[in-house]
Formats: sequence, structure tokens, C-alpha cells
Amino acid sequence: MVVEHPELSSQEERYVEPSFAVRLARNQLAALLFILFGMVMVLSLLTRTFLTANNIFNVLRAFSWIAIASFGQSIVIISGGIDLSSGSNMAFSGIITGMLLNSGYSITFSVILGLAVTLLVGFFNGIMVSKAKLPPFIATLGTMSIIRGFCYGMTEGWPIRSLPRGFLALGQTDIHFFLWRIPLPAILMVIFAILCFILLDRTKLGYHTYAVGGNEYAAGLAGINTGRVKNIAFTLSGLLAGIGGILMTARLGVAAPTAAQGYELDIIAAAVIGGISLTGGEGNVWGALIGAAIMQILRNALVLLGFPAYWQPAAIGAVIIGAVMIDMYRKRKV
Amino acid sequence: MRRGKWIWIVVCACLVWGIALGYAGAQEKKKLTFAWIPKALNNPVFELGRDGAFAKAKELSETTDYEVEVLYVGSVASDAAEQVRVVEDVIARGVDGIGISCNDPDALVDVINKAVDAGIPVMTWDADAPNSKRFTYLGVSNYDGGKAAAELLIRYMGEKGKVALLTGVPGAFNLEERIRGFKDVIKNYPEIEIVTTVACYDDINKGVEVVEEVMQAYPDLTGWFFVGLWPLFAERGSMPLWEEAAKAGRVKTVAFDTLPVELEYLKEGLLVGLVGQKYWGWGYDTIQMLFDHIVNGKQFPSWTDSGMDIVTIHNVDAMIEAWKTSDFTKPLPPAFPEG
Repeated sequence: MVVEHPELSSQEERYVEPSFAVRLARNQLAALLFILFGMVMVLSLLTRTFLTANNIFNVLRAFSWIAIASFGQSIVIISGGIDLSSGSNMAFSGIITGMLLNSGYSITFSVILGLAVTLLVGFFNGIMVSKAKLPPFIATLGTMSIIRGFCYGMTEGWPIRSLPRGFLALGQTDIHFFLWRIPLPAILMVIFAILCFILLDRTKLGYHTYAVGGNEYAAGLAGINTGRVKNIAFTLSGLLAGIGGILMTARLGVAAPTAAQGYELDIIAAAVIGGISLTGGEGNVWGALIGAAIMQILRNALVLLGFPAYWQPAAIGAVIIGAVMIDMYRKRKV
Repeated sequence: MRRGKWIWIVVCACLVWGIALGYAGAQEKKKLTFAWIPKALNNPVFELGRDGAFAKAKELSETTDYEVEVLYVGSVASDAAEQVRVVEDVIARGVDGIGISCNDPDALVDVINKAVDAGIPVMTWDADAPNSKRFTYLGVSNYDGGKAAAELLIRYMGEKGKVALLTGVPGAFNLEERIRGFKDVIKNYPEIEIVTTVACYDDINKGVEVVEEVMQAYPDLTGWFFVGLWPLFAERGSMPLWEEAAKAGRVKTVAFDTLPVELEYLKEGLLVGLVGQKYWGWGYDTIQMLFDHIVNGKQFPSWTDSGMDIVTIHNVDAMIEAWKTSDFTKPLPPAFPEG
């Protein structure tokens, strides 16, 4: 029997300049983009409406808040944690802001306070994980429920409506860019992606985040303050989920206590489809952005194609598994 | 030191509790306590029913020799198992009657029977548990509601066209019944085609998205049936395609429920008709029926029809008025005065 030695063969390869195709296959983002473009190609052939500017910008807007929350989630997952409270945080920032707006406070003040509250929730998550040593899953499962309870309690179950026009503009404005009218949330999504990318890829804190997620013990021995890194990761996750929530609220013009229920799973799925390993220390926010895009395009496609509503969850689940499997296969292969 | 402090706290808590118990006991009067249990505490329509229940309790306390108190309890989210626990708590606490909207027709049977066996009469409203020992069910037939919605739509849209349906969670019994009723009427009109059914999982955001997607996928759509009001909670400007088509009169929309947000849309002409349950009556009538059954020994048929409100442009003002004054006791004017 011939036993293959993967180490050996890869060692040999190291001396060969990898071909363009191999380099492309090695690049995770390229693989994800390939899946994304494949979907776009198929859909533009199957439907007449998919590749219209109107639809594309609708899709962009629809996943922008999921993606923004997913950037925060990615930072937490890269640092070796998980944040289940992001869905509740999305609803919470909207409700706090909505209540303040309806009691006559200015838009800037209301939005800043709404974000400050979710930032605090994130910080609280961080403290529970870093100081009280609670497993992130349990700590954020608890805050998920606590925050949802606050949402219901503060509104008594009623959605908050009649928000001022100026606030709605945050979610409903389109920015003119050459020929297109790009929704503001989509532009903000790209800006936040760049900021998070810089944070993770170009700063000491970013390297530390990967180090803590990769091997917490080793990172601690190397002199990294692991508690501080986790704290910052969770705080950012709270803040970014809050930003996503405010954009969603502004787009819909209503802050419902039931809003974003179950979105934490979409947010986590976006990160995982994007190649961010749940075991930590791996991946980047561009992956999360593409992951969120893949999920939303799929939802959009199922409606445009007239796929029966009752079967849609099954299709979405299959695509999540499929996308991650392709990624795993690629990793093993290259 | 630490342990000492805890013991003191526990002792103090026990004292306060004891005093509170004694105080409650001292207030005993000729009193009737009814538990009014909705499916969930997080759904605003139940709060209207609760207000109706409180209004009836106040009315009865003033006009009869009884002091009627209503306990508003339930699980936070719609959950049958949690609701069973709530009913058990209510039985343990001891009440004179229970009115409940069941999260599941079968899951609640056992605990309802337990209450009846313990001498507590139970009636169901809104959602029934037909195999239990409850003495009556106050509710509407969702199937008939769906039929009424279809008839409304046909009246405005005409006898041909393309129709889309928006539902909440696929498989929810009340929604499926409405859809079944709707489709059974549409079947008689071969020139009306139901092009698609989309689901929004009771989520406002997803509702807005799928409505806009359908508007893109089917530019020649002429009718919508919103089986619930989800996307209508969102503010103007969130569904530009639908709004534009509705304003131009190209798309006629009929929706379930008669909440103030929908009445605004109707008044502006974006919706053509609403079919709604009498939420206020869920509480107001249930408490009256419990009272009649317990005090006067009145018997009810197994199913008491609470009727439906049909709202169109002709009677929307009366409905808006009822919401403003929180007084739903006056009957609505007819939806089609010309007949």
C-alpha cells in the first residue's frame, strides 16, 4: 500500500512558484467570490429581474445590517468566542433610539445613546467572559434573553412608530454615485468593513485578536492581555450590532420589540460561510460580507424564482452547508 | 460574617412576605377572580383584549354585588409548554374561572381538564382546544375570514387578475385556515391566478423585503392578500414599489386585522379592505360569559361565534374612532352601505 505524505509533497511544492490558478484557489476570498458570481450568473439567466439596478440595490440594503453586525461577530469569533446577543442588540438599539426620538430628543443624541447602550451590553458580555470566566455561549445566551426581555418590557409589546423623517433618512436615503443610486446602509457597510479590516489586519490589537483565538494559552504566555482583547471584541460586537439595528429601524420606520429575532443565527452563519472558523483565529471580515451577501441573494432568488415558501428554509440550510463544505474541500485540496 | 448577613436578609424577606400575605388575607370580600390567558404577552393585539377584559371587570364590579378581578398572565412568547405551566400556576393559586387562548389545540387539553376537575370552569377564546372539557369557545372561523377577504378583494379588483399571498410562519394553523378559505373562493374565478405565496416568519423586515421582491418579479400583479399585517407596521417609504402600485390603483390589497396602522393605510387608499377579529371582545365578552356561566349558571353552545369586523373606506372612520376612545361596544356601520 502506498501511503501519501501530504507534508512531503507540499514541501516539494514550496520550491515551485505556484501557478496563478493555484494561488487563486488558495485564496479563500477568491473562492467565495467565485461562488457569489456563480449565483449571480445563474440568477441573471433564470430571471429577468435579478440583474436590475433596483433589485441589486435592494439586496445590498437588505443584507447591509446583517453584514455590519456580522463584522462584530467575526471579531468575536476570531478571538475564540461567540456572541448570541447580536440579534437582541439590533432590536435594542432601535428601541432605545426610537423611544428617545419620540420623547423629543435630537436625532444625533438618540442614535448615540442607542449605540452607547448596546456598546455597554457588549462590554458587559466581555466582562462576563474575561473576568467571570463564563463560557461565551452561556454568557451571551443570557444577555440575548435579558435584552429581549428589556425590549418587550420597555415597549409592552407595541412597536414604536412615527419616527422623525430625518432619522428615517439614515436607512432610506440613496447616494448618487455616477449613474447609480446606492443605498446609504450599503455604503456604511463597506466603510465599516474597511475599518474592521484595518483593525484586524493592520493593528497590534488585530494581531492579538488572532493570537488569542488561535491559542489563548500561548497568547497569554507571550504577554498578551487576553482579557482585554476579548473585552474589546465583545464591545465592538455590541456596538456594530447596534449600528446594524439602527439602520434597520431607520429603513423600516418602526422599532419592534420582536425585530431581528433569530438574526443572531443569520449573523453567525454569514461569518461561517465567509470562512471564519468557529474555533477561532482564522478568517477576515470580507468573508463575512460575502457570506451575508450569499445568504441574502439566495433569499431574494427563491422569491424571484417563485420557489414555494414552505420549502425555503430547507434550501437556505442546504446552501449554508454546501458553501462551508466547498470551503473545507478547497482547504484540504490546496 | 458573610453567612450572618445572608441569614438576616432571608429572615427579613420572610417577614415582608408574611406581612403581605396577612394583609391580602385581611381584605377578603365577595370576590371573583378570573384568569385571562393570551397566547403570548409580546403580541400587542392581546393587550387590546386585556383592556376589554379589565373594562368588563370594572363594569361588573360596579353593577353587580361581585367584585370581579382579572388576572392577566401568560408566557412571554407563544409557547405551548410554557403556557401549560402558567395554567398550572393559576390552578395552584386558585381562581374562579379561566379564559384562555390556546397555543396548541392538543397540548393544553390535559391541563384544562385538570382545572375543570379542580372545580374551575374554563372557556377558550381566539384559539380552541376542542377535545378538552372547556364549556365553550368564543372565536371566529379563520376559514370564513379568509373567504371574506377573498370576496373583498374580488369586489375591488374584479374577477380576473394575478394575486400574491403573504403569510407569516408557514404551517401556523390560523394562517393556513385563512389561506384555505381565501383559495376556496378564488377557485370559483378561473381568471384569477394566485402567482405566489411568500412567507415572512412574522418578521417586519423580512415582510418588507419579500413584498418588494414579489413586486419586482411580477410587475403585472393586481392583488395582494396579506394574511397578517407584518409589513404594514413599517413606515411609508419602506415599500416604494408596492406603495406606488397601490396609489396608482394597479394593485389592490386586502389584509387581515384592523390595527390603527392599517386603518391609516386604508384611509389613504393603499389598502382596500380589512378583515379583523374583535380583539376587544376577546376580553370583554369572555369575562361576561365566565360571569354568566359561574354566577347565573348560563349554558353556552360549544362554539360561540364572535363575528368579524369588515372594514372598508365606508366605515374606517368609525373604527378609528373606536381605537381612539378605546370603546368597541358600538357596532360598526356596514362596510358596503349600498348593499
